[in-house]
Amino acid sequence: MIDGLKEKLEKAFPRAAIVVMPDTDYLVTVDKESVLSMLAYVKDSGFDHLALVSCVDWMDEREFELVYVLSSYMKDNEQVNGNEKLNLILKTRISRDNPAFQTVTHIFENAEPYERELHELFGVYFEGHKRLVPLFLERTYDIPPFRKDFDTRQYVKKIFDNIPTIQDTKE
Amino acid sequence: MANKYSLNAVYFCTGCGIIEIPPSITARWDAERFGIIPVATPRQGNLFMITGYVSLKTLRAIIRTYEQMPDPKYTVGFGSCPINGGMYWDSYNTIKHLDKYIPVDGWIAGCMPRPEAVFIGVTHLWTLIDKDMANGYIRYREHYDQYRGNQEKLFGKLDWPPLYATATAQKEMAA
Amino acid sequence: MVTKIVQLVLLPVLGFVIGIFFLGLYRKIMARIQWRYGPPLLQPVIDIIRLLFQRGVSHGIIFDFGLVLSLAGALTITLFLPFAQWCPLKGSGGLLVILYLMLLMPLGMELSGGSAANPNSSIGISRKFILALGYEVPLLLILLSVMTHYKTISLFEVVLSQQHSAWALLSWPLALPGIAYVLILPAVLGVRPFDITTAPQEISYGPMVEYGGKYLAFAHIHHALSLFIGISLFVNLFLGGAANPVVFFVKMFVVFTAGVCVNAVFPRLRIEQAVSYLWKWPTAVALLGLIIVSLVK
Repeated sequence: MIDGLKEKLEKAFPRAAIVVMPDTDYLVTVDKESVLSMLAYVKDSGFDHLALVSCVDWMDEREFELVYVLSSYMKDNEQVNGNEKLNLILKTRISRDNPAFQTVTHIFENAEPYERELHELFGVYFEGHKRLVPLFLERTYDIPPFRKDFDTRQYVKKIFDNIPTIQDTKE
Repeated sequence: MANKYSLNAVYFCTGCGIIEIPPSITARWDAERFGIIPVATPRQGNLFMITGYVSLKTLRAIIRTYEQMPDPKYTVGFGSCPINGGMYWDSYNTIKHLDKYIPVDGWIAGCMPRPEAVFIGVTHLWTLIDKDMANGYIRYREHYDQYRGNQEKLFGKLDWPPLYATATAQKEMAA
Repeated sequence: MVTKIVQLVLLPVLGFVIGIFFLGLYRKIMARIQWRYGPPLLQPVIDIIRLLFQRGVSHGIIFDFGLVLSLAGALTITLFLPFAQWCPLKGSGGLLVILYLMLLMPLGMELSGGSAANPNSSIGISRKFILALGYEVPLLLILLSVMTHYKTISLFEVVLSQQHSAWALLSWPLALPGIAYVLILPAVLGVRPFDITTAPQEISYGPMVEYGGKYLAFAHIHHALSLFIGISLFVNLFLGGAANPVVFFVKMFVVFTAGVCVNAVFPRLRIEQAVSYLWKWPTAVALLGLIIVSLVK
């Protein structure tokens, strides 16, 4: 545990909700305007490794929830005893109808492929990202595939089952 | 006859089934007894094993590799994913029937098949070769219009030229 | 006259047959060392027959021509190497011609591999020539020592002199070049740790990457012949040749099995490690041997 981090965060960001959990250490929920400043603050406090940027589709509430998973690789910070590795999960909600957010690549450079993946699979547009081209997929889809209203079975029927089998025309 | 006893398997490792190829070719279940040896380049290859699910990017590479192999060549679908989609039967990014895009001579069912199943499949392939029924490459040449049409339905315009100069292919090259 | 014509026809065929047998034996012995059964002994024959029925792709006229050149060089050298008293062209230059023609074999292969426009084959070609540079230096010193000691350039007379006295490997001034030749023999034959030029895991067979069909069949035949030539040269120079073809074949078999055992144990060297090894101890020993041989005379 970093001593006093919870209090310092609550003082710096009064509108955030901070919970200290037994296994993930810190679970912070903020509004979307203060995400970048919060990320810069926790990066200075020792969480220098962005492990994952992910997204949850709350279809009924018509919101996306962006999740940033951070951990610390510090060994020589006197506030951390020994080689203890800490985790922090940062959550924020954005709207689902026109999902757009700022990129965090100028704070953590390794967020670039994660944001590309979220762009092609969920449709979230990240402003300021240098290279928002598809990472895994080859085709373009009407509805991004990971959203809950994308019907995979219908898509398979429409695209793949409509390709004919090879007919032996000689017989 | 010599075709069947010296199969050079193209070491194209895709999908989950790649984990079953090294046990088959090393000391415990020795595939070299059957004359099968993996080669590193498709120009020297004879047997193409597609081991596992085929996503769209992989299908592009598979078609280009298959067209580089010299005739006569045999394709074996390995596992249940090339047969009918397998575990990924309703996925948006994998193809469900490999037979629509390249000709397949035989299938080995399983998820993943054991090396003993691989060897039984190889001996069945020998029987097919003896009876001249393993003619996937001949089918590819005869129905090349349909195969290329299917590939184009999936990918849009292809960025490699047609392999055989059929009538529609010549029209496409002129366009 | 008739025997000479018969030998001229028979020797390349014999070299081919023994080379193919060694290829099959190579896979079988490697398999048995690795505790598994191997392919049948006739597997290279089956491979070559199957390859001759396949339709390979050609990349131009140099692609075809280079392979024919290397195969022609290999078949011609077998006429100069004595196979136990059979040597149809023994009066025509001996060791100097062999040294000259031995460079045609890799040269033709690299010519045809280079016209394939594949970056893997470019890397393989550069590696092969650097390796040839590596083993040609001690090989030249060894051949000079042998020629100085026996005062002849004819390989046939070297074999005859060894049959009157002892094997060159066990006689005093020539033991040092013999040891040097044993140290560079894996590089000449192209077995591990020196199979740098066709490295299947690294560069996809190097110059042979674009070979399919009949080109690969010719490449296999070329490999068989180069094995035969490398081993036969060593047996003739340092193990005494033989008066009896069966004894000659037994000596070749022993050398070949030793080579396969070395192949089974070692991993592959990098090209700079290979050249620095070949130019250090084997060259030093061969140079020392050359000096001692010329001083003893």
